[in-house]
Amino acid sequence: MIRGHEAMISSQLLISGVIFGLSIGSIYFLLAIGLSLCFGLMRIISLDQLLYYSLGAYLTYTVTLMTGSMWIGVLAGMAFSGVASLAVERFIFRRIYARDPTFSMITSFGILIGGVGIIKYFWGVVPRPVEVPTLIQVGIFGTEIPVYRLIVVAIACVVYIAIWFFLHRTIVGKAIRAAIEDVEHVEGLGINVSRLFTITFVIAGALSGLAGGLHAPLIMVDPSMGLETLAFVFMVVIIGGLGSIKGTLISALVVGQVVSLGSIIYAPMAQMAPFVIMLLVLLIKPTGLYGSAVISR
Amino acid sequence: MFAKGTSNMQAINALKWWGGMLLAFGLLGASRLVLPLPFLNEVVIYSVYAIGCNFLIGRVGYISFGQPAYLAIGAYATAFYLFYFGTNPYVGILVGVLGGLVMSLVVGPLFVRLRSDYFAMVNLALAVIVFYLMQKVLVGITQGDNGLWFLTRISSTPVLDLTRPNHFFIFALIVALLVWVFYKYLDDSIYGACCLATKVNENKLQFLGYNNFSIRLFAFVIANTTTALAGAMYAIYLGFVSPEMASPSRSADPVIVTLLGGVGTLFGPLVGAIAYTGMKDVLSKMIGNWELFIGFLLVFIMLVADKGIWGSLEPVLDKWLFRKKTATAINDPGTRSND
Repeated sequence: MIRGHEAMISSQLLISGVIFGLSIGSIYFLLAIGLSLCFGLMRIISLDQLLYYSLGAYLTYTVTLMTGSMWIGVLAGMAFSGVASLAVERFIFRRIYARDPTFSMITSFGILIGGVGIIKYFWGVVPRPVEVPTLIQVGIFGTEIPVYRLIVVAIACVVYIAIWFFLHRTIVGKAIRAAIEDVEHVEGLGINVSRLFTITFVIAGALSGLAGGLHAPLIMVDPSMGLETLAFVFMVVIIGGLGSIKGTLISALVVGQVVSLGSIIYAPMAQMAPFVIMLLVLLIKPTGLYGSAVISR
Repeated sequence: MFAKGTSNMQAINALKWWGGMLLAFGLLGASRLVLPLPFLNEVVIYSVYAIGCNFLIGRVGYISFGQPAYLAIGAYATAFYLFYFGTNPYVGILVGVLGGLVMSLVVGPLFVRLRSDYFAMVNLALAVIVFYLMQKVLVGITQGDNGLWFLTRISSTPVLDLTRPNHFFIFALIVALLVWVFYKYLDDSIYGACCLATKVNENKLQFLGYNNFSIRLFAFVIANTTTALAGAMYAIYLGFVSPEMASPSRSADPVIVTLLGGVGTLFGPLVGAIAYTGMKDVLSKMIGNWELFIGFLLVFIMLVADKGIWGSLEPVLDKWLFRKKTATAINDPGTRSND
């Protein structure tokens, strides 16, 4: 496909494509980890994570306009998403934990659609741009790469390590991992499971908000951005397997690269290729790469 | 049921079997005198659209957010035929149904192996992919967001001229009645019981010697072919298709209609379609923020009133109409709700 005299340009294109894919994959990872954790612990499919993603992006937009600093905007978006998810968890999800996972999917889809309506009410339907905080470019193998994308990747790495430490080294995290295995036992040990649920949900919501805030400068912020990202996040979660953080990381990286490199080869393929990969994975393993075959509850 | 007695009893049973449906669609047809035609056409198409979803949720236990994918496939297959090849609307509808059949046969074997939560997510992803496919990938033949316009290309046919809204309404009513007869027959058959059994306890059914996979595949194909039929009717009715049909923000529509009407009930989709279309016509002009309303409605139904309109109305009606009968004779599996 690549001819000899174009090799120089192509290698540059390739490197920037890989970096682009890494940054997209990082954002998908931040989003998918919330969905995956919520499913693992509470056995709910929380589509409203996409709402916190949009809210995070919009808050980033507004606060960036007000303060001039995009990083304060991202923090504000993250905080607001956390608060919003806390409210949703308290008033809605509390009532439906005991039900079937698909039940929560319908409810959370309702929250997502309603949230899109709220966003339209406050911010209107016009897409909004968010300025990139730093326009510095660095050279990697002779290719100019925007430093912002590298920062996004670094933040995702930090989040992965932090989540790993939280789950493996703190007592609350250990309780969460135990509850993923067997929630009744953990409850029997006298641990407040409903507080664990709240903590997990708020962490998931805040991470989705962070993903939205970080994604905002790379795209236009518009009300249906959550719905547009939905399919990709689903693919990431399904390829990786629901409830597995390691699987989510690997599949987020794969989907990011496929989207980015696919669009270099043939633009419409960027959307289709992850879907084909997902179908292939499901053909071989119906629960995704790292998903468990049985639900213990 | 235990009505094995006299021919008199059989006649009553037959009347009961047919009576409800004839009454419902008769009423719908008669309401033409008071209600505007576009509203009724929309209601009939929507009810056909939702009955497949109702079957999947109520009988097989699969929540399908991917119905718009099959709706769009049916509509686009019809549109391709009418835009590029022929002019006969009936052939167009057949092509649309065939398109839905092929599509569900291709993806079905892959999808029905999945657990119900994975199924819901994969199906929703499919809807988004079909949206992209129609909007961007196949832009050469679908003309992207502009859509395909073929209203003027539809030729008039002798008996029921589908280009005229009045005739289209009669046609849609007949099609909907046939679809309902088919689904009621399915509900009463052993196959319908098997579907319910896969939902309730698939291991037990497997133990009895049935094949869960083929039961689910059959249900999946039936439901999605019905949805494609609705799509084909939509295409003929509007004379226009656009990717908007499969847009992710509308993927909850059939699920909402089903829940609104009452999951797993026979007339749930029809009642739901009337309520939903009515609300859309009246409220969306009043509020102007349709998504907000629909979102809260969905959450409200799920938290408070998960029996739906018909699901909570039917027992009351039964009690009122057949007061003298025993309770067990009336209580057919159709009244079971999804918990």
